[in-house]
Amino acid sequence: MNRLRLIAAAVGLCAGLLINTAPAVAADAKGGDTKPPAKDLVLKGDAKCTACHDEADSPEALAIGKTKHGTRADQRTPSCTNCHGESVKHEKEAGRGSGKGPAPDFAFGKKTKNSAEERNQQCLNCHQGGKRIHWQSGVHANRDVTCASCHKIHDGHDKVRSKDQQTEVCFNCHKEQRNQANRPSHHPVIEGKMTCSSCHDVHSDNPKMMVRGSTNDTCYTCHMEKRGPFLHSHQPVTEDCAICHNPHGTTAANLLKSRPPFLCQSCHDGSGHHGQSAGLPPSSRASNTGFSNMGTVARGCLNCHTNIHGSNSTENATAGTRFTR
Amino acid sequence: MSEKNKMGFQRTLLATAMLCAFGGAYGGDDEVAMLTTPDSSISAGVGNWSSDRAQQGAYDGMRDNGAYGLVDINVSRRNEADGTWLNVVGRNLGLDPRDLSVDYTRQGDFGIGLDYSRIVRENPLDFNSGLQGKGDEAQRLVNITPGRGADLDLKIKRDMTGVRFFKNLMPGLDFNASFKNEEKNGERNWGARTATTSVPSFLTEPIDSTTRQLDARFDYAKDKLQLSAGYYGSWYTNHNDLVTLTAFSNAGVANTTYLSLPLDNHAHQIFVEGGYQFTPTTRGTFKASYGRAEQDDTLPTRRITGLSAAVAPYSLDGRIDTKRAQLGLTSRPIKDLSIVANLRYDDLDEKTPQAIITAGGVKVTPQDYRTIAGKLEGTYRLPYGYSVTAGVDHKDQKRSIPFGSLSDQGYDAQRAVPMRKSVEETTYRIEGRKSMSETINGTVAYSRSDRDGSSYNVIDNVAGLASANARNLVNPMHISDRVRDKWRMALDWAPVEKFSAQFSVDYANDDYSTKSGRPYGLIDGSAMIYAVDANYALTDEWSLTAWYSHDDTKARNRLGTTLNTAAASTKTADLRERGDSIGLGLRGEISSRLAIGADYQWSKTKSEYPQELGTGAVAATSPMSPLSDINNRLTRLSLFGKYKLDKVSELRFDYIFERWKTDDWTWQFSDGSPFVYGVNTDGTRVSFDDHQTSHFVGARYIYRFQ
Repeated sequence: MNRLRLIAAAVGLCAGLLINTAPAVAADAKGGDTKPPAKDLVLKGDAKCTACHDEADSPEALAIGKTKHGTRADQRTPSCTNCHGESVKHEKEAGRGSGKGPAPDFAFGKKTKNSAEERNQQCLNCHQGGKRIHWQSGVHANRDVTCASCHKIHDGHDKVRSKDQQTEVCFNCHKEQRNQANRPSHHPVIEGKMTCSSCHDVHSDNPKMMVRGSTNDTCYTCHMEKRGPFLHSHQPVTEDCAICHNPHGTTAANLLKSRPPFLCQSCHDGSGHHGQSAGLPPSSRASNTGFSNMGTVARGCLNCHTNIHGSNSTENATAGTRFTR
Repeated sequence: MSEKNKMGFQRTLLATAMLCAFGGAYGGDDEVAMLTTPDSSISAGVGNWSSDRAQQGAYDGMRDNGAYGLVDINVSRRNEADGTWLNVVGRNLGLDPRDLSVDYTRQGDFGIGLDYSRIVRENPLDFNSGLQGKGDEAQRLVNITPGRGADLDLKIKRDMTGVRFFKNLMPGLDFNASFKNEEKNGERNWGARTATTSVPSFLTEPIDSTTRQLDARFDYAKDKLQLSAGYYGSWYTNHNDLVTLTAFSNAGVANTTYLSLPLDNHAHQIFVEGGYQFTPTTRGTFKASYGRAEQDDTLPTRRITGLSAAVAPYSLDGRIDTKRAQLGLTSRPIKDLSIVANLRYDDLDEKTPQAIITAGGVKVTPQDYRTIAGKLEGTYRLPYGYSVTAGVDHKDQKRSIPFGSLSDQGYDAQRAVPMRKSVEETTYRIEGRKSMSETINGTVAYSRSDRDGSSYNVIDNVAGLASANARNLVNPMHISDRVRDKWRMALDWAPVEKFSAQFSVDYANDDYSTKSGRPYGLIDGSAMIYAVDANYALTDEWSLTAWYSHDDTKARNRLGTTLNTAAASTKTADLRERGDSIGLGLRGEISSRLAIGADYQWSKTKSEYPQELGTGAVAATSPMSPLSDINNRLTRLSLFGKYKLDKVSELRFDYIFERWKTDDWTWQFSDGSPFVYGVNTDGTRVSFDDHQTSHFVGARYIYRFQ
């Protein structure tokens, strides 16, 4: 019985080997090419590359199949050579000799010999339209930042497009903002409720790369109540929110660049109560003799100048123009 | 060979045979499919914070101690036959602030997406008050003995729902549209100097508003030409327009204070932009847009007897027209030289009528800005990966100076700050870069900006002497003459495959060029930051990251009433803020099933506020106390472990230690006691926990599938 099992197994093994090698044997018998034509693994026409860069050699490269680029039903999606070039030399000399062979025509890693402009052009060949029309004149492009500096093309999870991980990518270069984002007053960016790209269009050439045409227009997308126009407008508010606020984070409340009264005294003169010294009132409430001592503590000047972004009150002259009503 | 071993050998042989016949082929396909099919995951668990964390939990929905649900989903399914995708991303679904988006797309053809997002901000301060009607238009402030009122939790909640649509109309032509509706509710701590007291009282700003945004655009891209055109509209509706606060004097007499709120407004913009590739190395671009913003809501105080002059309008009829245009050119005229140039025109024209509001002649003061800005920059590439960039930017801005009410001297008595009719700024910069090196890349850059402008418009000319009015002696910081120098050095160093480091130093210096005839405002300032980042891959399974950065910002501000800067009434503030941050990270795989990670973050800021008189004495005098430094410290240690149960599921455990400390005096009296509103009135007490330490433990089950 045991012998019978052994024979059956051996027959099975031979049958298996025969079935699996049949095409090659058949090819041999015809005297033609001994190697069956390689089939595409992920992208259309990728066999030229995946014959070597297969799941054993470059599993991370095949992960492009998880992305939009890997959607073969979309006739516009590329093959390897659309981005990396035909790379004839790379293909011919691959595996020869002991050293590294020649790189593909276009490589995107740290050790690439291709300029940033060349690399970006490979992407722009398809992605120049829409919000990337002005990419070439933006600061990123002109400081040798490439698409691949931020985007993971061969990864189904592109961090920079993820709401809770985008900052990891941006903070790689923007260290000052990394510090500021952790200040006590900040937009909910590190909490993942907003992203850098909520305000910045990194593909554009707008001033400060804002998503809208100006800083204020960008702020209004979430803070539309500040747009006015107001019956009484506060001049710097109408010009640029960033005159008083640092949106990346501050130690002063409400993202103010500096605390009242210092911030307010950067424009307003030293006469009257607005020239008061910065200081804290004593503990006795009776000693808080009025607004002349209230420019620093609590909301500072804004304790009384409540509607500092603009007032719609028709009340008496000082109420509206001084934003107390 | 024993019987046992014989049986084992035979089974192995059989298995080998079957593998040869079928298994190998299926195994390879499975592996490729696994590597190329979009991933999905669902995770659910529970976590617990041991203590309240008012500061660090202001936005993440976990402010209070207790248990929280940890639920996230990320489903990404693709139909390989027709290229349709279904993406569902849900984050923090077990918490109050949460996100959910659903996308159904046939790639390259059409797509529709739905979004929901809730952002909650919980005020980190604790309010104990006699205020009634928190968050309402009608509020009543009952005077209390401090601490004997009700505890008020103030929070703002934003609920956004949105829909996105995409359709490819023909090859190269896409239509994109999105609509967002956001409901914002809650209340913010506010304040007011009421009608009968000079001391500010507490109240809340009631928030109940709706914003809507519609964005629709056509994008065309074909060969050398790309065009986009569309419409962006936004509408703001405030369901509150006026706060009526009833407060009580020390004698118990009720008084009413009215505070205006932002009114309904809307804005519309049409735009067109495009680019054309003249040659493979030369590209031209343009942008043009026209926008109109209007605010014509009824002014709520106008309908209340006694609050308006007879001449006051019933609505503002506010209108701002914005025209923008830009031309751009990028070119590489020779192989090693590239040029970027653009010219931008930005005209913000406020057409709001200059209506008279009060009997005293106070007017609406519309603000106009017309800015022309240009940029020219060239980069020359040298051998060995070196390049030099040089550029110049210029901005020329014309600004309106609206005339308010008339003073005795015939000058503008309404305005509090001198203004300029024009401001211009020119920036020159040069930068050297080395890139495309396998081990070292770096940048050295320098720029100088020089801002200047027309003479200041005098506010009042008391007794024929402009300098007699202190308001004429200030250089407002945003239009003041200023010379700004900036340096930047950055280095990327990767000496070996497994190690890389980045070093960067940025320094900026501002000189506000205050002059003897106008000595007040910001005098000078500086900002410096340096940072070191390093990554080290110990093995294929273990890696380390570390970073440190330090920043130091200074500003000197002078304030006075006469041209004598050494007078006792002159004050000079030397503001300084320093920050240090450290981050450490470890990722590793202990086995094929167990992965661990650790992150340590520590940051500290120190803010200094010394202020002295022109005589050299400390500025704040009795009863006021000078300001001490403010220190904020944050320490956070996060540990996690992920254990794979099988190919599709894993368990994740988290532990976080978090400590936040501050000696911020913002809401304190000088003796460190909590701030209390009012003198024998109000009594609202504001306090906060200046030392918040909390521990988090969490466990979740993660299921992955394709």
